Amino acid sequence: MIDKMLDSKVAGWVDDRTHLIRYIRFHLIDYPTPKNLNYWYAFGSIALLILVLQIVTGVFLAMDYKPSAILSGGGFSVAFDSVERIMRDVNDGWLIRYMHAVGASAFFFVIYLHMARGMYYGSYKKPREFLWMMGVFILIFMQAIVFFGYLLPWGQMSFWGATVITNIIGAIPFVGDWLLQLVRGGFSVGDPTLNRFFALHFLFPVLLGIVVLWHVMALHVVHSNNPVGVEASEKNIIPFHPYYTVKDLFGIGVFLIIFCWFVFYHPTGFGLMIETDNFNPANSMRTPADISPVWYLTPWYEILRSVPNKLLGIAGMALAYVCLFLLPWLDRSPVRSARYRPVYRSLLLIFFVSIVVLGYCGHHPVTPMLTVVGRTASVIYFSFFVLLPFIHKFEKTKPLPEDI
Amino acid sequence: MKQTMLRLALLFCVLTPLGVLHAEEGPTLKKVNISLDQTTLRKGLNVFTDVCMGCHSLRYMTWRDLMTYPEIGLSRQDVDDLRGDAPLSARMLTELSAKDAMDSYGIVPPDLSLIARARKGHGAYIYSILTGFEHDPKGRVPDGNYNVYFPGHRIAMSDPLGWLDHDSEDEADLKAQAQDVASFLTFVGEPHQVERLAIGKWVMIFLVLMTFVLWLLKRAVWQDVEH
Ligand code: HEC
Repeated sequence: MIDKMLDSKVAGWVDDRTHLIRYIRFHLIDYPTPKNLNYWYAFGSIALLILVLQIVTGVFLAMDYKPSAILSGGGFSVAFDSVERIMRDVNDGWLIRYMHAVGASAFFFVIYLHMARGMYYGSYKKPREFLWMMGVFILIFMQAIVFFGYLLPWGQMSFWGATVITNIIGAIPFVGDWLLQLVRGGFSVGDPTLNRFFALHFLFPVLLGIVVLWHVMALHVVHSNNPVGVEASEKNIIPFHPYYTVKDLFGIGVFLIIFCWFVFYHPTGFGLMIETDNFNPANSMRTPADISPVWYLTPWYEILRSVPNKLLGIAGMALAYVCLFLLPWLDRSPVRSARYRPVYRSLLLIFFVSIVVLGYCGHHPVTPMLTVVGRTASVIYFSFFVLLPFIHKFEKTKPLPEDI
Repeated sequence: MKQTMLRLALLFCVLTPLGVLHAEEGPTLKKVNISLDQTTLRKGLNVFTDVCMGCHSLRYMTWRDLMTYPEIGLSRQDVDDLRGDAPLSARMLTELSAKDAMDSYGIVPPDLSLIARARKGHGAYIYSILTGFEHDPKGRVPDGNYNVYFPGHRIAMSDPLGWLDHDSEDEADLKAQAQDVASFLTFVGEPHQVERLAIGKWVMIFLVLMTFVLWLLKRAVWQDVEH
């Protein structure tokens, strides 16, 4: 049926004038894919779906949200009130907000798995270095976007999270104070901060969408890697449609079951997706006992916190990202997939564990023990990148098959 | 090499839950059965308007909401009896002024619209607070202000239900009141939650069926590919 539609006269008329049908064919239908892609490869499509969901729900939320920290009585603000209005009085507003809040967490969860897949099967290696780097950029971009977004409800965690994280900027030498005031629009987090964060939270996802499209187009130039990590021969290549459209659709179905289970049964994600303290309106006079960023930011936050010196902490966090960017050049082994690289595989799994541990520590108030655990995990995180350039020298890779 | 790494990973798995134990603090809350059926919610509403509203407001609830949310579903007559001169569209605000509150309690009692969502333990926290008034064993905090479940154990609210020194025959009644009002406040924190759960069931059934069909489709399409 789709073929018929794309071959129709109307489609031909459009294609002669815009090449639209050609793009659809190239990117969604004929795109040649190795036949051995497993379900780990569905996370790309799922992430794309979430991006669309976030933009659509976000636009609807923006129609009723008011970015104003002006007090409306009893310590509540116009922004906080408008969120509660969405939750109570706007038709299905609660559903849209929960989809957006759970969607943010789902987005990170899926992107982290997508990246883990890329690392496991060596998808960052030549010729996909640029693709990988764009991906890391997308991750950082997403983190900026959620950081802006989390301020908008103007609850206690919004306010104090933003205060703590923007404070970091102030530690940068020379330009720190100037930059801090620029970001906050004043000396402390307040109404101007809320206004500019709202503007940026609206703009950046649009830019993110463009970068993501570019990411997909770049993928379609270098083509998908596969779990075996060797080039597939002609006979093992199949078109994206219908094979991977149905496979990804099934993956999306499974994703939606989990997603909707959270949206309808645990919309605050057990206090992880919408933190309990964020149902208290922002109060600059009352510091919460325990300020922690949302879970998807905590690994990076913990790296920062592991270093006793603030400035070095920033440097450490920046280095954590730089290491990810440089991954294609740090790893010098010619073999892609971890299936054939026992040493890399073990190191990688430990690296994943270290990120989970970092995330755990970053989510909890500092205790002497958690500090030790957090620091150890930070060291493990960086050790991975330090060891990486050398392991190909002694690693005995398993024999690679000729074809997938 | 691999062995050591596995051991390291194991070590982490052991250390991390230890951290959990470390992070938990405060007394364990009392267990309470939060129910959102109409009878409980109406009883809870009565406790709220009779007792709590002397000091606390619900800024996100209007009198009309008591009619329009089917979970409470009061009649116009019932609402008129409760609201007095206030218009239907008015919020359910206390008559206690902020100044008087400061004079009497040294603090303005917090709005309770979101209290069930904004505290760890949610409904159980409210229930525990209301039934947690005791005599301070050290005798420092005056009677009626000592509450083990409140951070710092000293609360400016003085025992609203009269829990302290209650007769044993009142116990069941007071517990029921606390449970009803905790349920009511849980409802007020998220008035669409009953609807959410009701819709959720159908959404889940639909998605499971849809995903099953997609799985069949996937199998059919992939049949001719050897993999
Ligand atoms: C005599 C006035 C008064 C009455 C009546 C009253 N409260 Fe309070 N309530 C207060 C004050 C004052 C506080 C602030 C306590 C503090 O922060 O130390 C408070 C605080 C609370 C808190 C919040 C504790 C926290 O974690 O911040 C809850 C929950 C609460 N009241 C529930 C109720 C309920 C339910 C009722 C009705 C059964 C009720 N109150 C009746 C004065 C009152």
